[in-house]
Amino acid sequence: MDFTANYDMFLNEEHDLLRQTVRDFTEREVAPNIRAWDRSGAEHGEGPETRTHIRPLIEKMGKLGFLGICFPAKYGGAGMDYLALAVLCEELERMDSFLRVVASVHVGLNSMTIFQWGTEAQKMKYLKPQAEGKQIGAYGLTEPNSGTDAGAMTTTARRDGDHYVLNGEKIWISLSDIADTFVVFAKTDPSKGNRGISCFIVERSMPGFSSYPLHGKLGVRAGNTGGIVFQDMRVPVENRLGEEGEGFKIAMTALDSGRYTVAAGAVGGIQGALEASVKYAKERHTFGVPIGDHQLVKRMISNMVRKMDMGRLLVYKAGWMKNAGRRNTRETTLGKWHATVSSWESADDAVQIHGAYGFSDEYPVERFLRNARGGVIYEGTRELQELLQADFAMGTRELAPKLRCELPAYNKDAWEAE
Amino acid sequence: MHIIACIKQVPRDNTVAIDAHKRIDASGIEPILNLFDEYALEAALSLNDEHGGDVTVLSLGTDETVDQLRRSLAMGATNAVLVTADGEPDIASAVSIVRGAIGTLPAADVIVCGRTATDDESAAFGPMLAQALGWTHVTYVTKILSSSATTLELERSLEDETEVVSVALPVLISVGKGDVEPRFPSLLRVRKYAKAEVPVIAAAAFTNVSTVVDRIPPAARKAGEIIAGPDVASKVRTLVDRLIADQAL
Repeated sequence: MDFTANYDMFLNEEHDLLRQTVRDFTEREVAPNIRAWDRSGAEHGEGPETRTHIRPLIEKMGKLGFLGICFPAKYGGAGMDYLALAVLCEELERMDSFLRVVASVHVGLNSMTIFQWGTEAQKMKYLKPQAEGKQIGAYGLTEPNSGTDAGAMTTTARRDGDHYVLNGEKIWISLSDIADTFVVFAKTDPSKGNRGISCFIVERSMPGFSSYPLHGKLGVRAGNTGGIVFQDMRVPVENRLGEEGEGFKIAMTALDSGRYTVAAGAVGGIQGALEASVKYAKERHTFGVPIGDHQLVKRMISNMVRKMDMGRLLVYKAGWMKNAGRRNTRETTLGKWHATVSSWESADDAVQIHGAYGFSDEYPVERFLRNARGGVIYEGTRELQELLQADFAMGTRELAPKLRCELPAYNKDAWEAE
Repeated sequence: MHIIACIKQVPRDNTVAIDAHKRIDASGIEPILNLFDEYALEAALSLNDEHGGDVTVLSLGTDETVDQLRRSLAMGATNAVLVTADGEPDIASAVSIVRGAIGTLPAADVIVCGRTATDDESAAFGPMLAQALGWTHVTYVTKILSSSATTLELERSLEDETEVVSVALPVLISVGKGDVEPRFPSLLRVRKYAKAEVPVIAAAAFTNVSTVVDRIPPAARKAGEIIAGPDVASKVRTLVDRLIADQAL
């Protein structure tokens, strides 16, 4: 059955044709190779030197407009809305998480943040080529000793004339060895805690920048993850994104965008696990009947359907709010929490339905399981999202008053104008 | 150059049911553009890239077929036409209906269609349409080697050989799977054509010359067999023995 039917309260023909296009792309360009690409990450480590599939695939995604999907045409985008971004992420992760990760860091964390906070000059210099797929963007917040506690970062940015001098290291950076530009965070005034953090757009070509790949990850092995290091890296003042000291707020709004893509991707991940399970449950026979006739297998399948539909509705609600220009931190984190945990649980059930075959990479479900685990950790852990929901409900956390720069509401005419 | 691409919507796979009236019931199976029509459309679009002009994509179908026509526009076609008919035309009637619809369009230089449709597998539509139009046709085309405003040089992949054919326009070609993969629509065109209004030509009444009196669905494929053995060498030996015994080798 078509699990994406009857969402027309949120989606229209544009989204349907988009879904078809992305699905055709992943089925034709990725499906025949994904097992080998995933294995290559385990065998060879994750450096781009041995991972020749990554760049050409990202280039193709760029040419088709995936990398600028929700930006106005005047900034090189495809002029579609934020729900289109969700559909893209669903379809990418239905195939493999590493594809959705490209959308998360390039579109969600980097480009949307420049779109929200950047000056016109920054948008023309960085957002436009990124939306056109000519440059690849990534994001650096996490450090070896600070994850959820982002305020504990130790990377510094010292003002020196019309430059800042950055020193420090960021880790768990998706596309660390591939991206051209990075939205990163550093302390301009370490005495001020979170208010002493500022945000910068840095380029790989800046002297003092270096990157390295990580090895031995549990999942997302087809992609590239690593660290980036700044050693006395001089960054022009005009590359500061937002005001000095505004970095923490910028980082949090970036996560509103990034978590949205992770949540949507996780819904696609559940769908991938569900489709594989339905197929296998009809093919595999035990005790003289297809295993799908057994009640406990049915329960696992129906649980996947329930979690997928709930996740999709939560994500589309958040996307609808983004389109309307409404703050959506509560809704996005709820969607991210539900969908990522559900995607992990669903992949686990999918492995169970596949039995011993699910324990090998002959079938895709063990890859889904390994990939899904990351989403429960990155861009805000399961525990953080859980605490946020309670705090919102009890009124102990409120959204900050109107930000200096809000994510622009979707405006079809303005978005489509060249 | 004006190129008309004839396309057909088919079910994604052939696990269709046959209903009590011997009709194909493809409900619940995702409708897709016939695989070979995608290659035909790609051939039309690449000719258009070279020579300019128009690519009109035409389908005899139902309201549901509009999705495939819009997708074809997003891939690069310049015009789309849906042709509808009451009842279920056989191939001869379909050819007659499509010929009538083509008559209402600007004169074409090239007509492309897939070498066969993956649902009825007849491979007759293209050649029969060419006959009806009084045009030359070239079947099993897998590559356009060169083209001018008046001729095409085509590669045909036949069972035992590859044939190179030079043909004068106008010509109808039926296209198989070649080296050039069909292009994906860009999101800019997706946005532009996702809601495009597609003009509809309603066909006049027709009389079929043939009637399907029975349909027998393909037999379900048998499950594979896993060959057991203590090591790879003995498994391979068993496999080869079996293949020889079954006259597969």
